[in-house]
Amino acid sequence: MPGTLAGKRAVVTGTGTTLGAGLEEALRRAGAEVVGLAEAVYPSREAAVAAFDAAASDRLGGPLDVLLHAAMPEPAFERVAFSDVDDERWHAVWEDAMRTTLFVLQAAFGQMKGRGGRIVLVTPTVSMSGAEQLVPYTVAVEGQRLMAKSAARQWGPDGITVNCLAPAPEHVPIGVASMSVSLSPPALGGPGDVVNDLGPVAAWLASDAAHFLTGATVSADGGVWMAP
Amino acid sequence: MSPAADGRLEGRTAVVTGAGQGVGEGIARACAAEGANVVVAARRAETGEPVAEGIRADGGESVCIVTDVTRRDAMTECVDETVDRYGGLEIMVHNAYRGASPHRLEDVDLELWDRNSRTAVWGSYYSAVLAYPYLRAAGSRGRLVLITSPSGVEGSVNIPIYSPVKAAQRAMAKSLSREWGPDGITVNCIAPVAASPSLVGAFEQNPVLKERVEARTSLRRIGDPERDIGAVAVFLASDDGGYVTGQTIVCDGGSFMGL
Repeated sequence: MPGTLAGKRAVVTGTGTTLGAGLEEALRRAGAEVVGLAEAVYPSREAAVAAFDAAASDRLGGPLDVLLHAAMPEPAFERVAFSDVDDERWHAVWEDAMRTTLFVLQAAFGQMKGRGGRIVLVTPTVSMSGAEQLVPYTVAVEGQRLMAKSAARQWGPDGITVNCLAPAPEHVPIGVASMSVSLSPPALGGPGDVVNDLGPVAAWLASDAAHFLTGATVSADGGVWMAP
Repeated sequence: MSPAADGRLEGRTAVVTGAGQGVGEGIARACAAEGANVVVAARRAETGEPVAEGIRADGGESVCIVTDVTRRDAMTECVDETVDRYGGLEIMVHNAYRGASPHRLEDVDLELWDRNSRTAVWGSYYSAVLAYPYLRAAGSRGRLVLITSPSGVEGSVNIPIYSPVKAAQRAMAKSLSREWGPDGITVNCIAPVAASPSLVGAFEQNPVLKERVEARTSLRRIGDPERDIGAVAVFLASDDGGYVTGQTIVCDGGSFMGL
């Protein structure tokens, strides 16, 4: 869908990962001006605000229209038996992921307030299905998914929509196949390609056309996770 | 003991966090009425001791252990003391939560975040990881029950941070049910709406809210912590609930139906 995002200014977080980088490319192909931020963790609200302000003023030439948040701390992807999870790991996954999400949402709100905007969180379906040896990761992703719903409810009057894009677990390095949590094979044949299959869905969620959708989770996983 | 009770939890030991009041107290009383040894894990003895005393006065077995669920050392002590006293731990119920007050997401600071995260999520983590050796030893009688909220599914316009920390508990139940299923342990959530002191207080401040909640509730009444919510916890904790795992039972009189 070239041109869908023409004239839009977007920030994509988590572009140090294959998934984040692919979605950055997809928004660019759809016509947006995009700044990719590779940081997986923001230690403070001030750090996120500074990064977003710099992206807006130095590289985009104006405030954000779109935030696509794909950042996730690296330890989140490590499979560990729950009984071996210690406080340090719990903090490195749950706290760092959730605080970072809070800070980037707040930073985006600062630029979108009074103007409207699109916020999309990338939340793989594994948070809805659950997965063994991935308790910290699935807990953090589900936390993000519900932070998005609350944000959607509060920021709707500002014209800001907040949705989640849920890719198949194959797109994150956690060693989980869609088929391990579903009896049905992917209706569309597989988990798809980030740029060409997930990308257009992300671009649509970021576009003006999606202005009446908020608080939703769109499973773009090739047709595995169909709940509810 | 309640006349309806038939000893479904006889010979089992339950720890209920946040049992000094409200839903936690209701669950503690309901489990005790079914014959469980119940540890009332409360942050303050002033609220926890009377609950344990009340259970004993009704012929049940209970002790209060003052516990701060946000601290690993305190939770370790609670679990160790429980096992020393009763010889095991079959049922861990994490209900304690503190932090809900209306706010704007853009204004949330780390202090407010921490208050929510520590009780709901770190408390769940400690409850689960520290109880695990005993739940595993209990085999098919091992139970972890996390008290979440309908807000953990639908989001919240008034207390936005409440939703992610309650959602985290649901994800934990799903993932742990998969991980611990081979041990025979079940892990579930209950999402209640009941007349806890915090809800009663909110209704007193805002009578319109009470009307609105009742009007959108199929059964047109607010749940009773012991009779309505405690009964569901007993079901999940008993052999009757042994094939239910990874689930959230919404127990709100028929209001939220989005699952």
